[in-house]
Amino acid sequence: MRARRNFSRARRPNARDSRGAGLKHGDDEEIMTRLAAGDPAALRELYERHGRALLRFSAAMCRSRQSAEDLVHDTFVALLRGPSLFDPAQGSVFGYLCGVLRHRISRHYRQQKRWVALDSSDEAPVTLDRESPGPADEIARSQVTAAFRRALLELPLQHREIIALCDLEELPYQAVAGILDCPIGTVRSRLHRARALLTLRLASLELVDLEAEPQLVHEGLS
Amino acid sequence: MTDTMHREVAALLDEYRRDLRETRPSGQLDARIDLLVAGTRKNILRPARQQRNRVNLWAAAAGVAVVAIAAGILIGMSIGHAPGARIAQDATLLPADFSLWPADSVALQIPAEYSAQGKLVAVDPNTQSTGKRYWIDVVVSNDGTIRIDRIVPAERNDEITLQTP
Repeated sequence: MRARRNFSRARRPNARDSRGAGLKHGDDEEIMTRLAAGDPAALRELYERHGRALLRFSAAMCRSRQSAEDLVHDTFVALLRGPSLFDPAQGSVFGYLCGVLRHRISRHYRQQKRWVALDSSDEAPVTLDRESPGPADEIARSQVTAAFRRALLELPLQHREIIALCDLEELPYQAVAGILDCPIGTVRSRLHRARALLTLRLASLELVDLEAEPQLVHEGLS
Repeated sequence: MTDTMHREVAALLDEYRRDLRETRPSGQLDARIDLLVAGTRKNILRPARQQRNRVNLWAAAAGVAVVAIAAGILIGMSIGHAPGARIAQDATLLPADFSLWPADSVALQIPAEYSAQGKLVAVDPNTQSTGKRYWIDVVVSNDGTIRIDRIVPAERNDEITLQTP
């Protein structure tokens, strides 16, 4: 159902692709113009507009909360250093920031490959600031979510990012294609494969019953 | 290819998405962004001031250079107009063979004898001659070039003719 909604949005090229209620491209571009003109307060405004969405994307991609926040911070540092690199003709400000963050995440994982972790438990996992934890069912639910998160993090980076952008951030395919710099068809096929891989992982963790809808996995991996 | 998702996976995704929606930047990240903004304010002001200082520095250096060149020209002109300078400028007062370099070259005579290997080598003139001795006349010109002028036997009976290439 959700996927169908994505699909229908993808067929509308002018669909909303910036995050947050009431945001307009024009506002963002005006802020970017101010930032390029040397107004540092514009950076704060962009952070308030898009910081949370960028952190969500980063949190879905990274193993630790600290890394996720570091990468969001790095994204804004990069924005501050080169605001003129943003081209409104290429897409929205949020899309541009997502693209920068995506490159940072990719570099982060490349750098991590050079290091061997002595103890992976050193990294504090991303803890979601839910306000009312407590009941036993809430704990069980959070355990399932943690397992789901582990399964997602085990996916290759390009599959993880497509799920983060399409299924978690619910961006339209058009916007995702702009961020990933690939055709919409590639977004669709990559998403299909990523979902199939995620389903397989979740099945191996006994979080989903593969027997219920096996054709989805077969189609995705074929 | 269909654009659907496994129901249970969709439910888990929904759940995780709801959790992610609760994610808020920590106070630490907010503070870092504030620092970034505050740092930018400083950096924006600083380059302008630095640039102004740099322009001032270049202007001062150019001024000093102009003054130094002008002073050099004035000193040169005053020396040129001095009475002693006229003598140096008047070529008729200089000797005809005046040269910055001494015109004479130096000629040296080096005693030499044939060695056992058949080569002509320099020997000490105070030692007893064991064979036929020659004088090698070496001329050192004033430009520093060395030339063997001639080789003559000490007895001056027969002179060795130099072959020039």
